[in-house]
Amino acid sequence: MTHRFLSHHDLALLAADLVASGTRVIAPVRAADDLEQIDYLPIQKLEDAALGVRVTRRSLKEFFLPPSEVLLQYRQTKEGVEIREVPTVAPPQVILGATPCDVAGLEIVDKVMGWDYRDELWFGRRDATTIVSFLCSVMDHTCFCTAVGLAPDSSRGTDLLLIPVEGGYLANAITPKGKALLQRCPGATDASEAAIAGAEAAQQEARGKIANNLAAIPAEFAGWLASHYDHPVWKTIALRCHGCGACAGVCPTCHCFDIVDEHDSSEEGARRRNWDSCQTSKFTLHASGHNPRQSQSERFRQRIEHKFSIYPTRFGEILCTGCGRCARVCPGGMDLPEIVGNLVALSKAEPEGSAQ
Amino acid sequence: MKELQELSRQLLADDVVKVVIGYEEGPRGVRAAFITDPAQTGKLVFDKRCVQNLATYLNPRRKQVAQLGKPAIVVKGCDARSVAGLIREKQVERGNIVVIAMRCGGVLENSEVDSELTSETVSVRCAGCDVRDPKLYDHILGELPPEPPVNPRRTEQIAALEEMTPTERWSFWNEELARCIRCHACREACPMCFCVQCTADKGQPQWIDPSPTPRANRAWQTMRVLHQAGRCVDCLECERACPEHIPLGLLARYVADAVKKRFDYAACEDPTVPAPMGVFRTDDDEEFIR
Repeated sequence: MTHRFLSHHDLALLAADLVASGTRVIAPVRAADDLEQIDYLPIQKLEDAALGVRVTRRSLKEFFLPPSEVLLQYRQTKEGVEIREVPTVAPPQVILGATPCDVAGLEIVDKVMGWDYRDELWFGRRDATTIVSFLCSVMDHTCFCTAVGLAPDSSRGTDLLLIPVEGGYLANAITPKGKALLQRCPGATDASEAAIAGAEAAQQEARGKIANNLAAIPAEFAGWLASHYDHPVWKTIALRCHGCGACAGVCPTCHCFDIVDEHDSSEEGARRRNWDSCQTSKFTLHASGHNPRQSQSERFRQRIEHKFSIYPTRFGEILCTGCGRCARVCPGGMDLPEIVGNLVALSKAEPEGSAQ
Repeated sequence: MKELQELSRQLLADDVVKVVIGYEEGPRGVRAAFITDPAQTGKLVFDKRCVQNLATYLNPRRKQVAQLGKPAIVVKGCDARSVAGLIREKQVERGNIVVIAMRCGGVLENSEVDSELTSETVSVRCAGCDVRDPKLYDHILGELPPEPPVNPRRTEQIAALEEMTPTERWSFWNEELARCIRCHACREACPMCFCVQCTADKGQPQWIDPSPTPRANRAWQTMRVLHQAGRCVDCLECERACPEHIPLGLLARYVADAVKKRFDYAACEDPTVPAPMGVFRTDDDEEFIR
C-alpha cells in the first residue's frame, strides 16, 4: 500500500471541491443547541465538522436506511390505481470522518441486505457513497470494538482511512473509490517516513486505550447462546430494560424495519418503510392477539441471540461493532458490554448441559 | 445509605418482600437495582444522582419485574406521586407493595456525573419541589435536606412559549416534533402509560399512522399528552428516554398547568384524591356542553 500525506488544508479543499460539484458531504457536527452532542450531518465546509471529538449520537445507518422512507406512492384515479416508484439510484455522497466501527457496521449489514433479496435502496445508496474514515481516538470505557474483531484503526468497509499525524493525515486508500477521491487532492504527497512512524504510534496509542475493555468474544459463544435459550439467566437479564428501543435506533447494525401503507388523503397514499425494534411488544404481536415474546426478558434475549448467535451462524459475523451507543443512550442503565461480558463468563463456567 | 441497606436486608430476610427496587452503582452512573438476595443489599445507594423514577417498574406491563414477587420500592417524594397514581388507577394494590421513601434535597439532571447541585446541574423537575418530605410511605429514611437550587430552564421555556403567538407556538412544536422517530420510548419509560394496548399500536382501525410524518407525530404526541392530563407527575422520564431530545416534559407541563387552572388539581401523593378525568361530580362546570 502506498501511504499518501494530506494536510488539513488539502482535506478542506477536497470538502469544498466535493460540495461545489454537488456531492453531499456528511461529517460529525456539533448540535447547535447542545455542544456536547455530535451528529453526522451534511456540511458545507470542513470547518463545520467536529472531527475526532466523540462518538456521534446516532450511527451512519440513517444515510443508507433512513428512519422512514417512501417505497412507492399511489393515487386512485377513475381509470384505476397509479403507482409511482421511487428512484433506486442515489445521488453521490461522501462521508467524511466516520468512526471505523460505524463503517464496518455497513459492511456487516450488507450481508442481510443482499441475502435472499437485494435491497435496491440500501445498495443504491451504498454504491453512491464514498467513505473516508478516521482513526478512532474518542473511545471511552463503554467501547468494545476489539471484542467483536474490529479495532480503532480498522479499515473494514472504508474507502479511505485517514490517520491524524503532525500537520495533517496519513491517507490509506483501501478501494478504487478511495483512490479516486485521493486523486482529487492535488496537494497529496507521498508520506514521509516520519508521518508513517507518527501514524503507527497513533494507531498503537488508540489500540492501547481500548485494550482493557471487554475481551474478545470467543467463537464458541454463538453456539452456547443457541443451546442455552432457556437458561434461567434470561429471566432476570432485562429487569431494568424499558423496552423503548432507543438502543436499536442508535445501533449501527440494527436494521429491522416495518412496511406500512398510509393514506395521505382520500385518493393518495404511500407505502413507507420505517425503523422497527425487537424491543417493543408490537414487533412480534400476531394478528390473533398472541405474542410469542410476552415480556422484556424474551425481547432482550432476542436482541442478544440475534446479534451474537443467529447472525453469526447465518452470515459468519457478529451483528455488533462494539460502538457502545446502546449503553450510552439507555435511560435504564442497560449496559451491553457488561451484559455480554457476564454472559461470556457464564458460558465458560457452564459450558454445556446447564440449560434447564 | 446504611439505613436503607439494613432495612432492605431485613425486609428480604423476613420475607416481607421478594425484591427491593432501588438504585445501584452501574458502569455509567447510578441505575435501577433489583435486589432479591438479602446478602446483596450492600449494593444499594441513594444520592443526588438518583434522578430516575423507579415507579415505572411497578407498571403492570413490566411482567419481567412482576414475576419476581412482592416489591419494596425506593422513592423520592416526586416518585411517590407516580406510585399514588398507579394505586389511584387500580394498577397496584397498596397492600402489595412496600414503599421506602427517601427524604430528598434534589437530584442531578445527568446521573452519570457526580457534580455539585447548582442551578445548572439540578434537574428541572426539582424546581418548586414541595415533597422533599414524602407523605406516602411504609418506611421513611434520611434527614430532611435543605431545598435544592432552582434550575430556571423549564419556567423560562414555559414563559417563552406563552410569549409566542399561536402561529409561532405551532411552528415551535412542529420543529421539535419533526425529530420524533416514533420509537415510543416516551411511552415505554412512562410510569403512567400502562394501557394494555396503546392507541398508537392499533392496526384496525389505524388511528395514528406509524410513520414519523409531521401529521402522525403531532397526532401521537397530542394524544399521549392529553391522555396524561391530570395524571402526569412531571417526572420527565419521557424526556430522559427520548433519543431525539424532544422537550416532551414541556408539553406535559403545559397540560398539567391547564389542569391546575381549570380543575385546581395537581397529581399528588394521596391515592384517595380522585383525578379530574377519573371522577364524576354533579357540581362539575361542564361549560363545554353549553
